[in-house]
Amino acid sequence: MKKRLSRRDFLRLMAVGTGALTMNQFLAACGIKPTPPPYQTKMLPPTQMIPPTSVNTTAATQPPTVAATPTKALSNADVVVARGGEPEELVRRALAAYGGMETFVPKGASVVIKPNICVAYHTYEYAATTNPWVVGTLVQMAIGAGASRVQVFDFPFGGSAQEAYIRSGIQEQVLAAGGEMLPMPEFKYITTDIPNGVDLKYTHAFKDALDVDVLIDVPIAKHHGSARLTLGMKNLMGLILDRSAIHRNLGQRIADLNTLFRPKLTVIDAVRILTDHGPSGGNLDDVKKLDTLIVSSDIVAADSYASTLFGLQPTELAYIRAATKMGLGKSDLNSIIVEEIAG
Amino acid sequence: MEMPKKARNKGPRGKWVIARQITQYVALIIFLALFVMTRRDGWPATLVNLPVRLDPLVMLANLLASRTFLAASAIALITLILTLVFGRAWCGWICPLGTTLDIFSFDKIRGKRQPPPEGWRNIKYALLITVLVAALFGNLSLLAFDPLTLLLRSLTVAILPALNQIMRVLENTLFQVPGLGDAVASFDVWLRPAFLPSEPLYFKDVILFAAVFSAVLLLNIVAPRFWCRYLCPLGGLLGLISRVAFFRREVSEPCKGCTLCTSACPTGTIDPHKNYASDPAECTMCMECLEPCPRSLIRFKPEVSITEGQEYDPTRRQALITFGATIATIALFKVSNLVKREPPFLLRPPGAREANDNILDMTKCIRCSECMRICPTNAIQSAVFESGMEGFGAPILDMRLGYCDFSCNACGQVCPVQAIPPLSVEEKRRQVIGRAYIDESRCIAWSDHQECLVCEEMCPLPEKAIRLEEQQVWGRDSTVTVKMPHVLRDICIGCGICEYKCPVNGESAIRVYVPEAFVPF
Repeated sequence: MKKRLSRRDFLRLMAVGTGALTMNQFLAACGIKPTPPPYQTKMLPPTQMIPPTSVNTTAATQPPTVAATPTKALSNADVVVARGGEPEELVRRALAAYGGMETFVPKGASVVIKPNICVAYHTYEYAATTNPWVVGTLVQMAIGAGASRVQVFDFPFGGSAQEAYIRSGIQEQVLAAGGEMLPMPEFKYITTDIPNGVDLKYTHAFKDALDVDVLIDVPIAKHHGSARLTLGMKNLMGLILDRSAIHRNLGQRIADLNTLFRPKLTVIDAVRILTDHGPSGGNLDDVKKLDTLIVSSDIVAADSYASTLFGLQPTELAYIRAATKMGLGKSDLNSIIVEEIAG
Repeated sequence: MEMPKKARNKGPRGKWVIARQITQYVALIIFLALFVMTRRDGWPATLVNLPVRLDPLVMLANLLASRTFLAASAIALITLILTLVFGRAWCGWICPLGTTLDIFSFDKIRGKRQPPPEGWRNIKYALLITVLVAALFGNLSLLAFDPLTLLLRSLTVAILPALNQIMRVLENTLFQVPGLGDAVASFDVWLRPAFLPSEPLYFKDVILFAAVFSAVLLLNIVAPRFWCRYLCPLGGLLGLISRVAFFRREVSEPCKGCTLCTSACPTGTIDPHKNYASDPAECTMCMECLEPCPRSLIRFKPEVSITEGQEYDPTRRQALITFGATIATIALFKVSNLVKREPPFLLRPPGAREANDNILDMTKCIRCSECMRICPTNAIQSAVFESGMEGFGAPILDMRLGYCDFSCNACGQVCPVQAIPPLSVEEKRRQVIGRAYIDESRCIAWSDHQECLVCEEMCPLPEKAIRLEEQQVWGRDSTVTVKMPHVLRDICIGCGICEYKCPVNGESAIRVYVPEAFVPF
């Protein structure tokens, strides 16, 4: 006969269960920061005085103190541009000219590679997602340089991540190269202050991308309705949870986000570019095959050069203007040293 | 002579009872496995919707209402043949709701409570007649109370989403425990999307659906298998067929009337006043009566005859009253004329509106909720009264909870009766679900003169059904140039991703309305 749960046992079970669920509070004592409810910091009642110590009112007017180039490349060029040939060759040639992957990925470092896998709708020929061989080669080279772990992920806005990983062809290449293709579960987003942000002061950022030794940003260069182009800086929006909060004052907030995530290397895939109806695309007439790859440790310089592929000036992009003002990198095409490598 | 006392759930069980229980659990596990694998990267759609297609009641009702014979639904004949041979063995051996009711039997709470009067048994026949007559007039709403659709809906909208919420809280909490982070992350990779969805599931009015399911379980306190005895319309249909079933329960002489079989019977159909005979329409062939019989007088023997009627069988008068009442109700539904004053946001899954005139065609949907289960974005919701009482349990789209994924056609594939047509991905990408309209008084660009344009970014059409046009407007103290979104209504398919992603709080500033329809006067 089955043993029935006694009332005492039931109550004991409930107490343990409730205790486990309220563990968040106890964890604070262990030095783990509990997740505060979103937007709490902004909900000051109108009559309450803002204490002068808690908010530095002059912060917004002072230039933030973020280093322009986190890693100095061996090459004296700011941007290396490789043209002509297969995607794998483009990556290998460009990085060889820029000092090799070893310059950016020390032995035993953990690496996150962030491609643009924004929708699950189309294959890579439609230029809505990063070229799978560019991503795969980067994974291979990072492992070759001695990376302890290479993780690849993105959070598509249309369709499921799982399907987008497969349709883009990126999962196949990443797994073949020995990398990990991971989902982005909600519990891995942590509320993070952006101390150097001008407009965006905090966000819910993906923990694995914050904690990693080396972040490599691998966007595809393409058209975007409101931002005009989506390149390296905008690609980092895939690492936060609440993206709709960024769409007001988009240019400044993208720049603010770039003070939080500082990729050691930005590799802009311009093998195929999407010239219109981005970011999702779907029409091959909008795709232009350029067989070009842009590599830089200065994300602003990489984006500035990439904007010229579309016949634009860097200053026409709001986020480049904002980032330049904040001193995040170079955007003056005359002062960016470009090394061109023909195939 | 001292009778050996054997109460239910005690003592050794006969090999037939053990065989039945194993069959029940295997069938339930298969049912649950098919349910879990009902997803886009799961098992084939024609396999996962098999349980519904095995249900002769929904398939018969669909045939009557739609006047279309679906070859795939002929598989329900298997259940009919099984019933012709073994009686209501479906109920006792296979039905997943029946097994669930056996698991949640509440025997201990019930104690020795007297069951309701025998006359209640004809409720299920009244329900059956109502379902079939309503189907004849094109209404299928009562199929929401078929045992399989009831269980599928409860699992889809209530049980799985609740389980998902519990697991999310656990994962969120344990992830923050120092040292457990990596283990939780690995567990999550194993768990999702194989067993639970990656995103939280939301279903509106879930409390109502959960309450109906809980009530079906809790009625077990009144009598064992209350649902199967008194309410189940499928049980009614199979019961009618069981009257000519081949195998019957028989009690041979010399029975001494110890009543052990009577108290062992979960459907309470063994009548001491009729020489311990049972009604084949009520007997689920569960074999619980075999073992208690001290003289082993009970046999299940082949026999060809028609069982005599019972006093609780529906009389001709009752049948006619049910028939008339059903027709009157259907007529009243028609009077409300939902087609002509259709709610503006009553969106249906892609293609579920009739191709020619865009009018709702509700003569096919069997309320099985398979489409709600498979929809990867959670856009498909179960209607309560949004489309009138006659639309109960049918799928509607809520674009604030999800959107129609541009490269998904899963709902049409899984629908067992083609109420949602099986469109190819290419066809579905052109299928008009509705048309988007911008509420300019709430849109960030139109009303606040700020850059936003999420809707344009999200629009999945290669040519973009939302265009941005620069417009000069009078701002706070000067003219400003703002890019304003415009919907190109002629190419918009109403997938709703713009409505889903619109950053305006609460109701979206861009909403999908039902497409223009031809309304006959």
